[in-house]
Amino acid sequence: MSGTYGLYVVRQTGIHRLHPLTKLVYVLVCLLIGWLIPGVWSPYIVLLIGVVPVALIARVLPEVIKNTIKTAIPFAISLIIVQGLFWTGGTIVRQLGPFSLKAEGLLFAIRGTGRIILAVSGFLLLNYTTRSDELMLALSQKGLPNSISYVVLSTLQVIPRFQRKANTILDAQRSRGLETEGSYLIRMRALMPLVVPLLLGSIVDIEERAIALEVRAFSREGAKTSLLVLHDTRFQRAIRWLLMLGAMAVIGWRFYLWLAPRLA
Amino acid sequence: MIRLDRVSYSYPRATSPALNDLSVDIPAGQFCAVIGANGAGKSTLCSALAGFVPHFYRGRLTGTVEVAGIDIAASSLAELAGTVGLVFSNPFNQITGARFSVRDEVAFGLENMGVPRAEMETRIDYILQFAGLAGLAERPPFALSGGQQQRLAIASVLVMRPRVLVLDEPTSQLDPVGSREVFTVLRDLAATDEATVVLAEQKLEWVAAFADRVLVLHEGRLVADGLPGDILASPDLQRYGLEPTRYTRAARAAQAAGLRPEGDTLPVTLEQAAEFFA
Amino acid sequence: MNLSVENISFTYPGGAEALRGVTLDIASGEAVAIVGENGAGKTTLVKHLNGLLKPTRGRVIVGEWDTREHTVAKMAARVGFVFQNPDDQIIERTVGDEVAFGPRQLGQSAPDALANATAALEMVELAAESGTHPYDLTAPQRKLMTLASVLAMRTPVVIFDEPTMGQDARGVALIGNIIETLKSEDRTVIIITHDIDFCADHFERVVAMADGRVLADGPAADVLAQADLLATTNVEPPQLIRLAQALGLPGAPLSTDGFIASLRRRDGTR
Repeated sequence: MSGTYGLYVVRQTGIHRLHPLTKLVYVLVCLLIGWLIPGVWSPYIVLLIGVVPVALIARVLPEVIKNTIKTAIPFAISLIIVQGLFWTGGTIVRQLGPFSLKAEGLLFAIRGTGRIILAVSGFLLLNYTTRSDELMLALSQKGLPNSISYVVLSTLQVIPRFQRKANTILDAQRSRGLETEGSYLIRMRALMPLVVPLLLGSIVDIEERAIALEVRAFSREGAKTSLLVLHDTRFQRAIRWLLMLGAMAVIGWRFYLWLAPRLA
Repeated sequence: MIRLDRVSYSYPRATSPALNDLSVDIPAGQFCAVIGANGAGKSTLCSALAGFVPHFYRGRLTGTVEVAGIDIAASSLAELAGTVGLVFSNPFNQITGARFSVRDEVAFGLENMGVPRAEMETRIDYILQFAGLAGLAERPPFALSGGQQQRLAIASVLVMRPRVLVLDEPTSQLDPVGSREVFTVLRDLAATDEATVVLAEQKLEWVAAFADRVLVLHEGRLVADGLPGDILASPDLQRYGLEPTRYTRAARAAQAAGLRPEGDTLPVTLEQAAEFFA
Repeated sequence: MNLSVENISFTYPGGAEALRGVTLDIASGEAVAIVGENGAGKTTLVKHLNGLLKPTRGRVIVGEWDTREHTVAKMAARVGFVFQNPDDQIIERTVGDEVAFGPRQLGQSAPDALANATAALEMVELAAESGTHPYDLTAPQRKLMTLASVLAMRTPVVIFDEPTMGQDARGVALIGNIIETLKSEDRTVIIITHDIDFCADHFERVVAMADGRVLADGPAADVLAQADLLATTNVEPPQLIRLAQALGLPGAPLSTDGFIASLRRRDGTR
């Protein structure tokens, strides 16, 4: 079974061994810089110098590339079509029948696509190199409520189960004569008999799970411990502070750029 | 260890009580089976011992439920966790889903109790061994079979060292292989005498095999209380919607046909039956 | 209605081969129990009987219909299928409507569907609950309701997947009676069960499966007496046969009467 730890890809690399927060902060700072620094190509530059080398060291670059393309391509295509062809005014680059491709629209689409690619690849890099239970533990130690951490982690594992359950429900209703094959209308009509049991059945499950959690002292107040151990170093803490300072500098600079013309 | 004094309970909106004037004392270390038809009150009794009646289901509870010296009604679920452990039928719903390996799943309760890490390690190793899960420690919980998941649920509760372990039909959703796995763990547990165990169960053959004592519930009332051999072969069983094992029935038929003398103790298990008919 | 499974094999998409050449002929009015360990292919096999799965090789014929040529919804008029978990299908707000759902899908008029639903609810002794919300029933009652929801479709073939799971003695007896009624109406009954004693009580024919194949197929007393063969698929013979074998009695008794007869035969020859 792949995806035992969410999206985590098991590799023995230095990147995998880093403290989850170090990776989280790094990825967020990359995103921030790529999004905030003006220029059409800035997201791509951050991608090339910020994300790609790290993914390479962590030996997850092929996975990052493959799944970034899979996720980002539909967005990119729609952006290029909508913004490139339907930009009002602007310089015409090429006439395509009744449509005209505008330079400004195209540039806007390229920047937008870059931002999406950067966000997706950053998210994948984090998740491929970080076990989600370790990430949630790190966040809990920083004050994230246990209930939120529980919901995130259990959702990751329950989704495949949900899909199997949906299939069983589909089978049960078809066996009672519900037509699910054929026209769009037939399939729409079949939707309710699928969704209702999925939701009602989940309520029964949730009640039992709530009891099971209570038995395991989930609502008990007071200090909790953890079997998992996260390795942090002074060096990593310093790096995280530096990254955050850098991010704040970028935000400040960007704010200044926005504010200056208005004050002048 | 467990003391019920004139306990009655009704679920919210229910017209008749689920438990009706129940009084019973269960001493420490006893392995006590609770049998009865569906709706007789077995699950409600289990819930009451673990505090989910009334703290989770609400409704009206009268009388006193006392477990390990704690008055359940005056306590809270958070306080009871760790003192009373509860295991129920559906193995899937007892797995937290928030831990990615069997070992981490077992740790969940201990983490919430704030048990130091070094102690956690020792206790987890011991319990995984006990439940026959040591070889599966690094596996994802949801990749286990039903019987393995149920053993994991039992281990996850036992590791918290509850004074009382309550099991509500722990094998009713398992296949024979899974049931046997779980009963093997229960048999080992009965042998240790460490915990006081209350087991609600339909499979009388298993009840006969290792319970020290059997309680029979019928329509929320305690109608019989005694040794397994006496209770399970009693002619009253059918009055309470319970079917004696086929061994008991065959023995009774043999007596009726004059093939065996009346008055012999009726068998409940295969071994006893083999002796009876030898 | 005759069922004919002709040398079928089935491989799940991207997965293992779950059936490897299964052949089975089931005549109208037969009662067949399919036993075997989890993963032996029991569920995969019965899902072929109403077309939920289509064979990768071979074919399944249900009364002249090839399952590959009909939708599951069409097949539902001929083959009823009671699933294991009732919570996987409940959609209506009352027990009565839930049980009438199948008949309505088959195109029955509202009064006909209601009449069939009422009759089915009487069979499972839930007629008094027809106005109740399904989730106000206990879990074992919900399971009986699901059983009724398939009985109400009055199909010539009825398949049950683990019907006795979670039932108490009374529930098991009730389901036993329903199976006897179906048999007396000359309907074909097929069951998947781990409850070997239940199987011995009500089924004349037993099919043991292991590893996607039929391990044994024949009269219940013959198949269920083969302890060593059954052990390979993690099935134990019924309690009375085990006892008879432990005592070295002749024959393979399926009932208490049968056991007493064997006992007499042995004691008589002593």
